[in-house]
Amino acid sequence: METVLELKGATKDFRGIYAIRDIDLKLGRGEVHAILGENGAGKSTLMKSLAGVHQLSKGEIIMDGKPVTFESPSAALEQGIAMVFQETNLVGSMTVAQNIYLGEEKFLNRLRGLNIRAQSYLLSMNFDVDPTALVSTLGAAQRQMVEVARATHHTAKVIIFDEPTATLTPEEKHHFFELVRRLKAKGVSILFITHALEEALTHSDRITVLRDGQKVAEGLVSEFTRDDVIQAMVGRGLSDELYGARKGVELPIRTSRNKILSVDNLSMGSIVRNSSFSIYDGQVTGMFGLIGSGRTETMQIVCGALKRNFFHGGEVRLDDKPVRYRVPRPAMKDGIVYVTEDRKLDGFFETMSIRDNIMVGKLAAGSNPASIVSMSQAQDLAEEWTKALDIRAINPSSKVIELSGGNQQKVVIAKSLVQKPRLVIFDEPTRGVDVGSIVEIHNLINKLADEGIAVVLISSYLPEILSLSDRILVARQGQIVEEMSAAEATEEAIMYAAVH
Amino acid sequence: MSEKEKTKGGKGLSFSQEGIVFLLTLALFVAFSIILPNFLTSGNVIALMRSVSILGMLALGMSLVVIGRGVDLTMVATLVVGVVWAVKLTNDGMPFGEALFYGGLLVSAFGLIVGLIVAFAEIPPIFTTLAMAPVIFGIGNPFLFKQDTHNAPRNVEWLGDLGFGATLGIPNTILVFGLVALVIHLILRYTRFGRSIYAMGDNPLAARMTGLPLRPIIVSQYIMTALVAYLVGLVILASNSGINSRLAYTTLVYDVLLVVVLGGIGLSGGRGGVRNVIVGTLFVGTLLSGMTILNLSLTAQNLIKSVVMMLALIADTLVNPRDEQTSQQGDI
Repeated sequence: METVLELKGATKDFRGIYAIRDIDLKLGRGEVHAILGENGAGKSTLMKSLAGVHQLSKGEIIMDGKPVTFESPSAALEQGIAMVFQETNLVGSMTVAQNIYLGEEKFLNRLRGLNIRAQSYLLSMNFDVDPTALVSTLGAAQRQMVEVARATHHTAKVIIFDEPTATLTPEEKHHFFELVRRLKAKGVSILFITHALEEALTHSDRITVLRDGQKVAEGLVSEFTRDDVIQAMVGRGLSDELYGARKGVELPIRTSRNKILSVDNLSMGSIVRNSSFSIYDGQVTGMFGLIGSGRTETMQIVCGALKRNFFHGGEVRLDDKPVRYRVPRPAMKDGIVYVTEDRKLDGFFETMSIRDNIMVGKLAAGSNPASIVSMSQAQDLAEEWTKALDIRAINPSSKVIELSGGNQQKVVIAKSLVQKPRLVIFDEPTRGVDVGSIVEIHNLINKLADEGIAVVLISSYLPEILSLSDRILVARQGQIVEEMSAAEATEEAIMYAAVH
Repeated sequence: MSEKEKTKGGKGLSFSQEGIVFLLTLALFVAFSIILPNFLTSGNVIALMRSVSILGMLALGMSLVVIGRGVDLTMVATLVVGVVWAVKLTNDGMPFGEALFYGGLLVSAFGLIVGLIVAFAEIPPIFTTLAMAPVIFGIGNPFLFKQDTHNAPRNVEWLGDLGFGATLGIPNTILVFGLVALVIHLILRYTRFGRSIYAMGDNPLAARMTGLPLRPIIVSQYIMTALVAYLVGLVILASNSGINSRLAYTTLVYDVLLVVVLGGIGLSGGRGGVRNVIVGTLFVGTLLSGMTILNLSLTAQNLIKSVVMMLALIADTLVNPRDEQTSQQGDI
C-alpha cells in the first residue's frame, strides 16, 4: 500500500516531561488506522502534533515522501490533514450550514445557496441535521455530525478523529462508520483515537497501541484479539474484569431494602414528560436511554441542577416527603449528589489543585460561611481520597487540568463523595476515561452500593449497564418506559425498549 | 515554597505578571528618584504612600468581586454617598458615631441591591454596576445632601489621628491599609467564604453543581466591597479634613481596576490574591506620583494611565486566555 503519511521518531516533551517518545507510524492511502491507549498514553498529543496543534520536539513528519512541518492547524489543513477534535469548536449562534462553511465565505454570501450545499452534503452522509438550525439548539450527537461534516467537506487526504463516537448513539455510530467507509473508498486515510475496543476491531485496518507515550504494539487488525489489545494497553489482561457478566456467581444481584426516592409524573418542557420511577438504597439502578431520551435531564431535575415545570411538573419524594430543589445545594444537603457527564464544563475547577477541588466539595457540605478552613485538614482529606480512589498525580497540589481524563474523573467523584451522600448519580462516569480507571470506577460503584448507598448509573454503553446494575430503567422520549431486573435484562431487550 | 519563588519576580521559571510588574515598579521608582530631585524627599514618599493606601484599599475591595468573576464600578459612588451623608448628619447635630452607623447601613443597602441584581436578575456585573453607579450618586445628591464640599466634623479626635497621626513613625493611613490587606488576605485564604469565591471564579457551573450557595456568596461580595469602600471614604475624609462629592465624577474607579488588573488578578476570575493587589498598588502609586511631580496635565496623565491599562488588559488576556465559557458570562 502506498504510504501517505509517515512519522519517524516522533517525540514531544512539555518542559522535559515526555508526552510521546520515539514513535514511528505509517499511514497508507485509504487506510483506517485506530490509535488505542489509556488516557495519558499520548494519543491526543501524537494526533495534535500531526495536525499542527503541537510541534514535535524531535522527529519528522513525512508526507508523500517529502518531510513537512506544520506551524498551525491551518497549515496542516492546507497540506490535506484535517482533525476533528474531541471538544466541538462550533459557533452556537450560527446555523449548521454557516458552521460547515465557516472561514471560506465569499465576499457576498447567499444563505440559500449555502443551505442547499450544506443540505446535499449532509444528506450524502446520511446525517439528519437541518442546515438552517442554530447550532446552539442541537444536541451533542448532532453537533458531532456538524463537526465531522465541517472537517470532511474539504478535500482532505488524511482525517484525524479524536474520540469521534464518544457522544454518539449506536445508530449514529453506524452512520459515522458508514461515512468512514465512504471516505476510505475515496482514498482518504483515517486516523482515529478511540476507547471503544470493538470499534477499533471492527472498523479499522490497522491498530497502533500506545502506552506511556511509547508505541507498544502495531499491526493489522486481523492479528489482534480483544484481549491482546487490552493486554497491550494496560500491560495486563482485564477483559473479564471490565465487563464481566453480571449474572456470574461472584456478584449476586443486590435486592432492594428501602425506597428512598420516588418520582411521579415528572415533566420539564418537551424533554421530560410524565416520567415516573423509584430509586432504592443499597443497589445500583442503571439508567439507559439513547441521546434525546431525557435521562440526563431527568436526573438533573432530581438533583436540582434543572427545574421541573412549575405547574404540572410532577412530584419528587425523598423518604416519602415531597421535595422541590431549585438549585443543587439543598439536594446536596439532603444527600443527593450528581457526578456530571461533562467534567470540564461543570465538574472540576481547573486552576485549582486536587486538594482544593476536594476541599470545595467539603466546604459546600458545611453550613457556616465564616468558618475557618484548616489547611492541614484539607491536606489530610486530599491524601485520604487520593489513596482511596487511587488518583495518580505527582502530588495533591497538582492542578486538575494537568491530569489524565481518568484521574480528573476520580477527582470529581471524590469531590462529591466527601459530601457523604445517600444517593449518588453517576452520569456517564467512564466517558473519556482510560481502561485502567474504568475498572477502578466500576469497583467503586459496586462498593458504594454494597455500603448501602443508592447509586444511579446513567450510561449509553450497554455492557456497562449490564455488568453493574441490579435494576435497569430504560428511558425513551422523556419517560421511563421499562423497568427490568438485572436477571432478566439482555442487551436486545434493553435496546428494544429504548428504540420502540 | 513556590510562592516565595514567585515574589522574587523574574528569577527562574516563575516569570509571572506579578513579578514583572514588581520589577517595573522598582525600575520606575529608581528612574523617578534620579530624574526628579523632589521625588525621594520624605514628604513626597509619605504623600505617595498615603495616596497609594487609598487606591490600594479600594483595589482590595475590588479584588473580592473580581476573583469571583465580577466587577464593581459603583465603589466610588457608594463611598461618596455613604460618607458625605454621614458627615451631613453629623453637621445637622447627630453624634458622629451614630451617623457613621447609618452611613454603614446605607452603603450595605447599596451593596445588597447591586448583589441582588447580579445574583438573581443575572445581569453581567459590569453592566449592573455601570448603571447603578449614577443611580447611587443620584440618590445621594438631590435627596440626601445638596452641597459638594463637606468638612470633617472638628471635635472627633480619632478622625484626625486616622488622617494625620502616626504610630511608631508609620502614618496611620498606611497601617489601616496594612490591616485591611491582612484581613482580606485571611478571608480569601482561610474562610469558607473566601475559598468559595475562588471556586466560583474558576468555574461557576461546577461551583453550583457542587452545592456552593452562589447567590448568597455574590450578594455578600458586593456588600463587603461596599463596606470596604465606605472605610476608604472615611480615610479620605480624615486625611483631607473633608470630602468633595465630585470625587464620584473622577476616574478613580478605573485607577482601581488598573491596580487589580496590573497586579495580575485575571478578570476571568479564580486567580490572584492580596499580594497581587499590593504589587499593582505600588506600581500605579509610583506612576501617579511621578506624573504629578512632573506636573503633567490631567489629560496627559489620563492618557498614560489608559494606555497602561490597555496594555495590562492585553497582557491579562494573553496570560489568562478567556475561553468560550468565560466569554459567555459577558462580564467585561
